[in-house]
Amino acid sequence: MTLILSGTDGLSDVDGSAATPAIRGTDTNTGIFFPAADTIAFSEGGVEAMRLDSSANLQFNSGYGSVATAYACRAWVNFNGTGTVAIRASGNVTSITDNGSGQYTVNFTTAMPDVNYITVFNGNGNVDTFSGGGRQFSMVRTRATGSVQVNTVDEGGAQSDASYIGVAIFR
Amino acid sequence: MNQRIIYPTDDGVAIIVPAPECGLTIEEIAAKDVPTGKPYKIVDMADIPTDRTFRNAWEYT
Repeated sequence: MTLILSGTDGLSDVDGSAATPAIRGTDTNTGIFFPAADTIAFSEGGVEAMRLDSSANLQFNSGYGSVATAYACRAWVNFNGTGTVAIRASGNVTSITDNGSGQYTVNFTTAMPDVNYITVFNGNGNVDTFSGGGRQFSMVRTRATGSVQVNTVDEGGAQSDASYIGVAIFR
Repeated sequence: MNQRIIYPTDDGVAIIVPAPECGLTIEEIAAKDVPTGKPYKIVDMADIPTDRTFRNAWEYT
């Protein structure tokens, strides 16, 4: 195997392996290697830990037991839907729109590629406004690439504000 | 961000609550998230009532 180090190619022509990565420090079994065409991988202790495959899928083993493609959350928000409605924290969200009691729209910073995403909720309620026994439910009302409208309702079916609402989008 | 954007809807009024971490100004959020063609106002957060008992009866004025 020939190692080329030049001003044009940089450091090249060594693929390495998980056990002996092509680029490593003094720890000889931890580093970067190139297991296939258009693929970059990282190893720790001689075992592959992460890979960026030829389709730009990020794969990693974060306690899963094997290296597999990770499907990331594309947008998320945690907000208070009662009193002074406010966002506590968020990612890929520019704002929420308060449309009425228990009616909110989450507006994405970067739009989804289509409307075939899933929406995951959690909602802890304002028990003072419940007409039911304290349970609260969330549902998607409309999906668009740039936003999703969600409703929170009490167990009596009435739209009801919630104090702790979490929405996460996966695609 | 202690400002809100309000605009009229068929059912009353919508209130846009900016995400503090989004990196956009309130004007940029209005341009992006207010439906096209809708009039809107930027108001102080303190101008929005906190008692939401009759939220669905609120109107845009």
